[in-house]
Amino acid sequence: MSQDLLVDVATLRSQVREKYRDVALDPHGTHHFHTGRPLAARLGYEQAVVDGLPDHAVESFAGVGNPFSLRRLQAGERVVDVGSGAGFDSFIAATQVGPTGRVVGIDMTAEMLTKSRATAGDIGLGNVEFREGLAEVMPVEDGWADVVISNGVINLCADKQAVFAEILRVLRPGGVLQFADIANGRPVPIEAMRDVDLWTG
Amino acid sequence: MLEDSGFDSVAIGPAVDTFGGAIGEEKARSFDVYGYAFMARRG
Repeated sequence: MSQDLLVDVATLRSQVREKYRDVALDPHGTHHFHTGRPLAARLGYEQAVVDGLPDHAVESFAGVGNPFSLRRLQAGERVVDVGSGAGFDSFIAATQVGPTGRVVGIDMTAEMLTKSRATAGDIGLGNVEFREGLAEVMPVEDGWADVVISNGVINLCADKQAVFAEILRVLRPGGVLQFADIANGRPVPIEAMRDVDLWTG
Repeated sequence: MLEDSGFDSVAIGPAVDTFGGAIGEEKARSFDVYGYAFMARRG
């Protein structure tokens, strides 16, 4: 453990899995965040690219920003998507890196993996695959990635130092981390930070 | 935290109103929570 963690790691992971299982299976249900195409439009994704994806590639998207807004991926790049969910950002990445590039999505929720793999098959993208894993222990070899992307995931990890250390491990020297996440402008009381229910709801 | 973790050339994009109009908006507003894009390079 690399820092004094505010919540129990296993409890938080369990709640995150439960939350995102619901998003995978019932994307149009009641969630405290936006999802799908309306969210992609709100976050500034290219409309034409999103329009080109089938509904099941977009409907469970639950990111918090646009990891491609500061830098477009380059053709041929090798990309790891940390917490790939139903695959929306991985599919966007796959279109940007093209057939000479490669995208590996990592997620810990079985229902999300099932959905992202099925969609990748339906779309016929041969340069993207999805692996089961944790942000803190990714099934990717040292220095493999040119780029690591993520969207709304790191804030849901109890040990952020461990996540960044793992991202550093899978990135090649000079590689780029481009991610989206939430940040608060006002301090959150310590008792609220220790309330695991507030991390996911 | 990024620089402490071994990254450099850190850049942050503008705030995005991620939760506006969603059920979680009230809670997000209470702590000024917005979405941001971040970029950094492995040193």
